[in-house]
Amino acid sequence: MKRIFIEPAKCDGCKNCTLACMESHREDGGRGLYTLDLTDPANQSRNRILSDGKGGYLPIFCRHCDDPDCAGTCMSGALVKNQTTGLVDYDAEKCAACYMCVMACRYGVPAVSPDRKRMIKCDFCQHLEEGPACVRACPKKAIEVREV
Amino acid sequence: MNSCTDCLSRNTCLSADKPMENYIRQLPRETAHHRVEGQSTKCGFGLQGVCCRLCANGPCRVTPTAPRGICGANADTIVARNFLRAVAAGSGCYIHIVENTARQLKNTGLHKDKIRSEKALNRLAEIFGVTGSDKYDLCVKVADKVLSDLYRPEYEPMELVEKLAYAPRVKRWKELGILPGGAKGEVFNNIVKTSTNLSSDPVEMMVSCLRLGISTGLYGLQLTNLLNDVVLGDPEIRPAPVGMNVIDPDYINILITGHQHSLFTYIQDRLLDEDVVAKAQAAGAKGFKLVGCTCVGQDLQLRGAHYTEIFDGHAGNNYISEAVLSCGAIDAVLSEFNCTLPGIEPICDELKIKQICLDVVAKKANAEYIPFQYETRQADGDRIIDEIIAAYKARRGTVPMNLFTDHGNKNTLTGVSEGSLKAFLGGSWKPLIDLIVAGKIKGLAGVVGCSSVAYGHDTLTAELTRELIAKDILVLTAGCSSGGLENIGLMTPEAAELAGPNLKAVCKELGIPPVLNFGPCLAIGRLEIVATEIAGELGVDLPQLPLVLSAAQWLEEQALADGAFALALGLPLHLGVPPFMTGSKVVTKVLTEDMVELTGGQVIIDPDGKSAANTLEAMIEKKRKALNI
Repeated sequence: MKRIFIEPAKCDGCKNCTLACMESHREDGGRGLYTLDLTDPANQSRNRILSDGKGGYLPIFCRHCDDPDCAGTCMSGALVKNQTTGLVDYDAEKCAACYMCVMACRYGVPAVSPDRKRMIKCDFCQHLEEGPACVRACPKKAIEVREV
Repeated sequence: MNSCTDCLSRNTCLSADKPMENYIRQLPRETAHHRVEGQSTKCGFGLQGVCCRLCANGPCRVTPTAPRGICGANADTIVARNFLRAVAAGSGCYIHIVENTARQLKNTGLHKDKIRSEKALNRLAEIFGVTGSDKYDLCVKVADKVLSDLYRPEYEPMELVEKLAYAPRVKRWKELGILPGGAKGEVFNNIVKTSTNLSSDPVEMMVSCLRLGISTGLYGLQLTNLLNDVVLGDPEIRPAPVGMNVIDPDYINILITGHQHSLFTYIQDRLLDEDVVAKAQAAGAKGFKLVGCTCVGQDLQLRGAHYTEIFDGHAGNNYISEAVLSCGAIDAVLSEFNCTLPGIEPICDELKIKQICLDVVAKKANAEYIPFQYETRQADGDRIIDEIIAAYKARRGTVPMNLFTDHGNKNTLTGVSEGSLKAFLGGSWKPLIDLIVAGKIKGLAGVVGCSSVAYGHDTLTAELTRELIAKDILVLTAGCSSGGLENIGLMTPEAAELAGPNLKAVCKELGIPPVLNFGPCLAIGRLEIVATEIAGELGVDLPQLPLVLSAAQWLEEQALADGAFALALGLPLHLGVPPFMTGSKVVTKVLTEDMVELTGGQVIIDPDGKSAANTLEAMIEKKRKALNI
C-alpha cells in the first residue's frame, strides 16, 4: 500500500502540486498546463498549500488515514476505506452531499464541490499509471509516495 | 463572482490605520485587504527571483538539483535579468510621466495659458541656462531642453545631468562610467539587454541599474516636480484635512488617481467656472470637489494652497482607494496613471461610479478612454463633466452611503518642499544644519515610496517611522508612505509627543510634526534636492550626510528605479522585503555590500521596524562621527 508523505520544511509554496492536481482532474477535455483554465472553479484542486504564518508553508494533502474521519462519518457509504489499496475511495453516486466529511476531517482535506452536489477529495490519481500528479510536480520533493 | 458577500473573508490584512482596518473588515465587498489571505501562498522561486520565463524552454526554476536553466543561465544571471528588466520598466514609467509633464509645459507656453509660478520657471531657466523672449517662450525653451534629452539616443549623454546633479556625484558617476544617455534610449537598451540569451553578466546589469536610476531620479522625479511647479503652483506649508472625512456628499465628487497632475490642470480649473457649477446645482449638488487618492492626490495636497475651493483633501493612499469608493459619495474616478488598482473596477460597476481614463497607458477595463489632448481639452473636458454629472444623477439615491466621517484628521501639516521648507527656516538651511550639529536632530530619514498590503497595510512603514522619531531622527516622507502616515496622525503637530526628547523640543518650538510630508513619490526628487543643498552648504558629498532612506513597503517596479537612484546618490536604502534578488549570491552581495565601494550606497533588508530603525540609527551615528559632530 502506498501513501503520500509530506515534509513541510521543504515546501517553497510554489503550488506546482496544486496546478498538477487541477490538470490531472480537469474535465474540459484539454490537456497541458498551457490550456488549463486557472480561473474556472470547476478546476478545483484536491490539495492546497497554506501559509503557516511564520514564513513557511503547510501542504494539506489527503493521508488516506488508517482510521479515516471522513469515511467514519459518512452515512451514505460514499466514502469507504479500501482494505486492499489502503485508499479512501469516494463514490459520487452514493453521496448525499451532507458534508459531514468536510466537517469531520481533522486535516481539512475534503471540500465542497463548486456545484455543491458532491465533495472533492484526493483520489491518489488512480487514473494515472505513474501515480499522483502532485508528487511528480513537486520540485523540492516535499511530498513523496512511500510504501507502507 | 469574487465578491460574494456570504463567503467574503473577514480575515482582512492588518493595517497601521486601525479605524480603516475595521471599516474595511465590515465592508460588504472585496478589497485588496481581503485578497491578501487568498494570495498568502507565495511561489518560492518567484520570491527569490529565480524563475525565468524568457523563452519557451521555461519557466525554468533553480533548485539544488537543477542549478541552471535549460539555456545554462545560472541563478545570478536569472536574478540580474529579472531585476534589470523591472528597473527598466519602472524607469519607463517615470520617464513617461516627465515626458507628458514637459509636453504640458510646452503647450502651456505655446497656447499662452495660465502659469502659476514664474519663480519656478525662472529657476529652471537658470539651471538650464536658457532665455526666452517672454515667459511663454521660456516655457517652450525649458520644456524643449527636457524633451530633447529624453529623446536622445542611448549613446549620447543627456545634457542636463551635469546641471541638475551634485558635482561630487557627477564626478563619481563619470569614474564609474554610468552617466546616462537619452532616458528613453536607456530604457530601450536595457530591455534589450535582458531579453532571451543576451546579457548574462550580473555585475554589468547591476551597474546598468545605476544608469537607469540616475535618469529616473533626475528627470522622472526631480524635473517632474519642478516642471509641475510652473503650471500648478509652488507648494506652500499649511494644515489640511486628510482621510475619508474630507469627502462631502453634498458635492459631485471625483476621485483622482495617478501621477500626472498636469493632465488635470484644465479640468480642475474648469470645474469652478460658473456655468459648470450651475450644471452641478441643476443636478442637485452644491458643485464639484476633487478627492485625492494615490500620488496625484498627494501632489494636489502639496499645492493645496492654490486649490482650496476645488480640492477637498487627500483621502489616502493606493490601498485604501477601494474603501474610499465604498463610501458611496464618490461619483467618478478620473485616472491617468498608476496606482489605479484593478480592484476598483467591480466596485465602480456595483456602485455605478463612472470611470474615465485620460492616458491609455493606464487604461482600466471598465473605464471610458478620453485621451488628454491639449488641442481638444475644452470639448473633452466638457464631455467628461457631462458624463460625471450623468453618473451623479443616475447613482445618487440608488446606491447606499457608507460614509466614514471621523476617519483621518483635520490638521496634517502639508505642502513641505525644498522651497517651502527652506523659506520656513528663514531662507537658509543653516538652522536645520545647526540643529543636526547640536544633536537636537540626530539625523534625517526619508521614509518614502509605496504602500503595500501583503504583510500588513503600512504597518512596517508606521512602526519604523515611530521608532525613528523616538530616536530623535527627523522623518521626511514622499509617496504613498505619506498617505498612510498622515492618516494615522504622525504629521499633525501633536505627534511631537511621540518623538524623542530632543526632536520633541524642536518640533514644539517650531510648531511642526516630527514627520514632514513632502507629498507624492515624485517628491523623492525634492528630498534629494534638500540633501544636495545641505551637502553643498557643508561642503561634503551625499554619502557623508547623516541621512538614510527607507522604502520600507516598496511595491512596484517604479520603486526599484527610485531605489537605483538612491544607490547612485550613495545613500543607505532600507527595504522591508527583498526585491526578488535573494536567489543570486552575486546580486545580493553587489546590492548589500559592494555598492558601498562603488557609490557609497547600500541596500539593507529588514522586515522588522525596530531592528531596521536600530540599523539606520547606527549608520547615522557612524556618519555623524566621521563628520566630527
